Amino acid sequence: MKQLGLPALGFGVGLRAPHYGYVLDQQPAVDWFEVISENYLDSGGYPRYALDRVAERYPVVLHGVSLSIGSTDPLDFDYLHQLRRLADAVGAAWVSDHVCWTGVAGCNTHDLLPIPLTEAALVHVAHRVRIVQDFLERPLVLENPTTYVGFTASVMSECEFLARLATDADCGLLLDVNNVYVSAVNNEFDPDAYLDGLPYERVVQIHLAGHTDAGTHLVDTHDRPVIPAVWELYAKALRLAGPVSTLLEWDDQLPAFPRLQAELALARQHAHQVARESAVVGAHSG
Amino acid sequence: MADLSGASLAELQRWFQAAIMSPDRSAAAPADASTVITASTRQYPAERLAVYRRGYRLRLLECLRASFPALCHLLGRDLFDAFADDYLDACPSRSYTLFRVGERFAEHLERTRPDRDQPRAEREAWVDLMVDLARFERVFAEVYHGQGTETGAVLSTADLPVDTDPAWPKLTLRPAPCLRLVTTRYPVHGYAAAIARGATAELPRAQMAVLAVHRHAYTVVITELTPPADRLLAALLSGETVAAAATTAGISPAPAQPWIRGWVEAGLFTACAPRPDPKTSARNGSLSQPCRAPA
Repeated sequence: MKQLGLPALGFGVGLRAPHYGYVLDQQPAVDWFEVISENYLDSGGYPRYALDRVAERYPVVLHGVSLSIGSTDPLDFDYLHQLRRLADAVGAAWVSDHVCWTGVAGCNTHDLLPIPLTEAALVHVAHRVRIVQDFLERPLVLENPTTYVGFTASVMSECEFLARLATDADCGLLLDVNNVYVSAVNNEFDPDAYLDGLPYERVVQIHLAGHTDAGTHLVDTHDRPVIPAVWELYAKALRLAGPVSTLLEWDDQLPAFPRLQAELALARQHAHQVARESAVVGAHSG
Repeated sequence: MADLSGASLAELQRWFQAAIMSPDRSAAAPADASTVITASTRQYPAERLAVYRRGYRLRLLECLRASFPALCHLLGRDLFDAFADDYLDACPSRSYTLFRVGERFAEHLERTRPDRDQPRAEREAWVDLMVDLARFERVFAEVYHGQGTETGAVLSTADLPVDTDPAWPKLTLRPAPCLRLVTTRYPVHGYAAAIARGATAELPRAQMAVLAVHRHAYTVVITELTPPADRLLAALLSGETVAAAATTAGISPAPAQPWIRGWVEAGLFTACAPRPDPKTSARNGSLSQPCRAPA
């Protein structure tokens, strides 16, 4: 399955500043890199130099945290202009962000805030996604964020919201299976049912990460390995979607780059296992 | 207690943002949280909302600590966080990038200093040190991240007129985009450098310093200037000719030339005008351009 006509990039990791030197010197064997767009939009210094060098050797995806697609503030076209320019400059395979809002009244909380899952919100977000895609002249790929609250106003599940949004706005989805797990625990829903409800022809990418148990809730900390339950969700998503570009996120307590590669090797193993299972099933049914 | 059960998306977002950005950190969450937020088995609505309140504050505090490591070291984590909390309440981020969160921190510290109503001579020295360090660390970050000359034009000493060329007095120079002049009441750059190295740093003693901060090969370079050199460079940056800048600096043009050559060699300028006569420029008639890209 080639989702939205976008390529399956293989297995990548998020590029973080402490790894610039290693990546540029060692050219490690990863298939692609994802970078946080906002860290490079204004940069003319070493971070941008490093990104340009990385983009010469690896496919790069821009992953944003400030699009604020769900905000009721006007879209920031200065931001979008910069984003388009950066995407063009590094030849971004695609541009992604989150189904969330980050602020209103001109403020940016720099957090991925939850959207009430209502019909009005769905119409609002889908309308803005279409505008952004027209402006960027490329598909927008949107990620399910981690959520720590539910709204009394919500009338549908998150997976229904995402599925309808992707169809209505004709955009891609970035399925973060760690976020599904964290949100499922925090909001007490069934993560398997969530995965069953997604339109996999639109799932362009999968995120993997670790999280922290805060006792009363889970927190999406990106500071440790992926837990077994999330690996299981990953395998299930691959069974439903087929091969999908997979990206490991690790931000806090950042280990040396080879540790990320070891974690990525686990993702490859899961993908190979799922592919073998699919081949066996295909042979038997054929 | 407001009932927000029928609120529009815009009303909900304004309420949610106000709740998580509230300066009142003694309150767990607004009393009307249960009309907006559902409970979970393990958390009340107010507790769930508080996850975002803590996350907002912690993320931006971590950003400021990382942006001002020497100031954080100087003050200690708790005192730094107290100042940073006050700043975030007064100047919430309005930018898409975390890089700009701290851009008004030094200005805020100066504006809200407890002795601001005292005559300047009676103000407390430690506040000056704190403000200077914040200002220096911000400039350092701007120079590191901003536009540089690594991929663009840079002026070479070979592009300058020879010393005897009569074009010198009328020469103007275009500064590199990454060049900043910073005046501090304490030589905080040494302190910041020591902290960055992880070394033990003594508190700097009060002494005026003028620093040229620029970037070469993606490395930030700090040059301490003498008072006349500072005046000369500042005048050149304002667009004055060499002759006018020398007058402003209180020196004659001839001694200014070696300084200017040194600054050009260090990469502080990207172009000069008028373009020197090829017959008399240091390139001596070669295929000279007033600007050149680095090798």
